[in-house]
Amino acid sequence: MKTKLVAYVAVTTYSLLIVIPLLLAVDRLVWVAGFDVTSWISSLDANYISKGVFQFTVMQAVFSSLATLAIGIPIAWQLGRYKWPFQNIIRSLLTMPFVMPSIVAAMGFLHLMGDNALDIRNDSTTWLWVLIIAHAWFNLSLVIRFCEPVLSTLDPSLEEQLRLLPEGRTKFGRFRHLWFPLLIPSIAAAACMTFVFSFTSFALVKWITLGEKTLESMMADIGSSAGIPGYMISKNEVILGSSLIQFTVLLFSLWLMTWLQNRRQSLLPTANEKIVKKNNNAGWLVILPAICFAVIPLATLIVSSFRVTETTVDGSRTYWSTEGWSYAFSATNSLPSGWDALYNSIGYALICLTIALPLGWILAQTISELEGDSPRLARALDVFTMLPFAVSSAMIGLGVMLGMIKINPEFFYSLWLTPVIAHIMITTPFVVRIILPAMRSLDAKYDECGQTLGMSRTKRFFLIKLPMLRGSILIAAIFTIAMSLGEFGASWVVTRNSDWTTLPVMIDSIRAFPYNEPLVPPAANAVSSVLMLIALFLFISSEKFRPKRDGGMF
Amino acid sequence: MLRCIGLSKTFEKNLFDEFDLDLDAGQIVAITGPSGCGKTTLLRCICGLETLDEGHILLDGVDITRMLPEERGIGLIFQRPVLYPHLNVERNLKLGDKQADIPTALAEVGLLGFEKRAVDTLSGGEGQRVALARALLANPSVLLLDEPFSSLDDDLSEKLAKDVRDLLKKRGCPAILVTHNKSIAKLFADVVLSIE
Repeated sequence: MKTKLVAYVAVTTYSLLIVIPLLLAVDRLVWVAGFDVTSWISSLDANYISKGVFQFTVMQAVFSSLATLAIGIPIAWQLGRYKWPFQNIIRSLLTMPFVMPSIVAAMGFLHLMGDNALDIRNDSTTWLWVLIIAHAWFNLSLVIRFCEPVLSTLDPSLEEQLRLLPEGRTKFGRFRHLWFPLLIPSIAAAACMTFVFSFTSFALVKWITLGEKTLESMMADIGSSAGIPGYMISKNEVILGSSLIQFTVLLFSLWLMTWLQNRRQSLLPTANEKIVKKNNNAGWLVILPAICFAVIPLATLIVSSFRVTETTVDGSRTYWSTEGWSYAFSATNSLPSGWDALYNSIGYALICLTIALPLGWILAQTISELEGDSPRLARALDVFTMLPFAVSSAMIGLGVMLGMIKINPEFFYSLWLTPVIAHIMITTPFVVRIILPAMRSLDAKYDECGQTLGMSRTKRFFLIKLPMLRGSILIAAIFTIAMSLGEFGASWVVTRNSDWTTLPVMIDSIRAFPYNEPLVPPAANAVSSVLMLIALFLFISSEKFRPKRDGGMF
Repeated sequence: MLRCIGLSKTFEKNLFDEFDLDLDAGQIVAITGPSGCGKTTLLRCICGLETLDEGHILLDGVDITRMLPEERGIGLIFQRPVLYPHLNVERNLKLGDKQADIPTALAEVGLLGFEKRAVDTLSGGEGQRVALARALLANPSVLLLDEPFSSLDDDLSEKLAKDVRDLLKKRGCPAILVTHNKSIAKLFADVVLSIE
């Protein structure tokens, strides 16, 4: 009875926190724009702000997905099929970009491709390639994490047997009959997720393109003038149309990815990776450039935070200095100091953790328990908790902003905690997705054995369940903190008060200053470096607890 | 037919040293020995999945010692049947011969009607029969069998051993079986050799 009550409270809290703001936001937008779905969709082509945006969003997401696969598959193959010295370090370096906040990636690529380094972005025909490469960099680890486990643990006798059969005598034959069919679900799942992340990309699009918009960045841009009765009605229609399209595309992609993951060959005969992996010195030709590709944009950030370029009438000079760091970490009239942003970010992350982690745990526990007695209800709750995945961060930010206007604008605009609502909305579904599989894989016999030993439910929880799920809980906790610290899209939309500035928002604000101020790039890169080092520390901590062969995103 | 001359292989310990074997056309040889004595490695060396330290392998007078496994035309049946889980029985068999008459091939191993079955629904014995049918479809010069009956119960392994022997004899396919089970070796082979 008590357990049921806790579950009801958790589901209600989740609904209030996550669904209600979104529903209120939609309600407010519909109140202004009217309920005419055709008009919302047609407004996208009719309005100069949104004309061609959908096409560009799809095009860059498709090319980014293809580029990610083209770069990621050879790397996954080398990592999965061959032995490497310091293999765990190599794998961590190559999967690290995915945990980096997108604004950090944007700053890294902006500097690397900009006029202070490779200088290949200033040409208006090349920025699209820079964006695609940046998306490939960001999503590379998805391909590795989805494909490498299949490659590194597949029983080698499958390939050996095929070599002895007529259809497997050539490399192409073995690729066609073995590797392609076995890898295709993992490749397709990775492509789906890359498409989703590129489709909803915000920071990279905002900073790498020369003013080009995706649905996500456009919604973030025009969101502040939405929801006001009688004012710029067309923008409300554009937001509704964009949200509807984005929601549909994301929902379909996520459904496709779940379907593909279920089709992954869980019954494949596996072997210890020590038996599977062989030596391959030629593989360094893939691994070394891959490590450089993963590390250089981040290393550039740290180096460039100490480089100041001064331009005068006599020309420009670049010198080493800590002025960028001093500038970033001292308050100015228009910006809080980096310290304030750091405290805000840590504060939001910790509050987010104290709410999202228990909430996610209880939801996962409820789903896991319902799966035995009421599988349909469990499935419904499972889908319900995944719903925010189909809503991008800008949409969540708009939901919180417009939702709170509807409830009490004055109260919410002065409430320091407001950005946390968006962070909880974003992180809770991830907590559920990390803890639920671990709960499912926990053999019921352990709990039954505890019962036969006369342990109470509480005692079983603390002595059996909690220690056995410790790894997943820690990963979920670290992931929650990392996501909250690096969250940019929703925070950028929600932040209406400089007292709420987080590290990612501060990076964006500094970089938005006039570019002729010499300390702008090093100061933005200094804050980016801090955020990057925190994310790196959290990533290394989480890697210690991650099961090696999980083959998923986290 | 198949001549093995002075085969030697060391892997952490000396597995086999100066091993000689002559296999005539249509002949079936069994090699027995305790676990870990190098029986499986010997078969893997003959079909080319492992390299030899020393020695030569001649097939119909041609030295195949340095050839890739896929070029040797030698078939191998593993201890546990290696069937591809993403393909059904019919498509697994077609890996042996694209043009094969599948019902006939299955009838030969007593599995007529199994064409569309998923391989994960097969029992251990059924799986080995499918693997055997597929290996025979590839029309190997020599068939190597690595303890294929060891995971089955006694009655079933004896029955399958008899069935496989009859089939190999009917086709005139020479074969080498390695096993630790001496009674299966006697039942299956024309000649039984022992390695320690």
